[in-house]
Amino acid sequence: MNQYLDLLAHFGIGGAHPGGMALTHSIFAKEKIKPQDHVLDIGCGTGKTASFLAKNFNCTVSAIDLHPTMIEKAKKRFATEGLTIKAILGDVQNMEFADHSFNYVLSESVISFTDISKTLSEIARVLKENGCLLMIEMTAEQDLSDDVKEKVVEIYGIDEVLTEKEWISRLQQVGFADIEKIPTSGLLIPSEIADMDLSDHISMALHDVWEAHNQFIEQNGHLINYRVFKCYLR
Amino acid sequence: MNQNDAYQLCCRYHGQNVRIKCNDGTVHVGEITRVTRNMVWVRPQGGGLGGGYGLGFWGYGPGFGYRPGLGVGIALGAILGIGLASAFFW
Repeated sequence: MNQYLDLLAHFGIGGAHPGGMALTHSIFAKEKIKPQDHVLDIGCGTGKTASFLAKNFNCTVSAIDLHPTMIEKAKKRFATEGLTIKAILGDVQNMEFADHSFNYVLSESVISFTDISKTLSEIARVLKENGCLLMIEMTAEQDLSDDVKEKVVEIYGIDEVLTEKEWISRLQQVGFADIEKIPTSGLLIPSEIADMDLSDHISMALHDVWEAHNQFIEQNGHLINYRVFKCYLR
Repeated sequence: MNQNDAYQLCCRYHGQNVRIKCNDGTVHVGEITRVTRNMVWVRPQGGGLGGGYGLGFWGYGPGFGYRPGLGVGIALGAILGIGLASAFFW
């Protein structure tokens, strides 16, 4: 398992994506999700966003994550909050859902950690024809040097960081016809970690990963940012 | 978490805003102001209850061993986990 994702899992950090929960709230303030809609949160982590969606829109929410610790913590959260969200341990590159199952798929800094084209095809498959993909994803501001690329692989286990243009082209390749860019502050601002569900034994090595990540952001924050896209298949 | 690891981490995060979770479930958020072999001192953000800046709070505060200016004293042996209080994540 990827050590950066281990860091997020073992510290149990909720809303761990660029913009934090503030960005999530502002994106969904503009969405009219109906109670009969079915939303899939891929790479749900500890379930902070899935819980917010279920409570805010009273819709059906499913949540999937590959990390057993994340799913365990998400299940704990849903049980504590009395929510009937289905939390599934599984791979977003190869999901067990039937075709055209969801009105919305949400990816908060998740697709970047996978085989991008594979995951995008899977999302297009499980979305209903008029369904919507909302995604917050790491995006390169320019072509990255080999040195930076190596660091991205080393720290995050991410093989490719796409530019905005490349994201749009990949989305189009799997069938997304209507792609809208949602404007953001574009700043890599630290958000307060109000939601933390620590594991009992956290290896000291994970603190080193956190430090390497902080150092990377400090040095390369101007090269890699994030984008928010809202995409429809038609 | 063993006391030595807790000590190492408190030194590493000295001067930074952290979130410390203790074995009894309590959570302290604030700046690490002092680390000894057995204790760490955490000053709540914004000064908290006096935080050493205000008058009238001397000798009073959350947790045990509250000291003006230093904040709340936490026994290293009581620490379950430490992390930065705010951070950017992908």
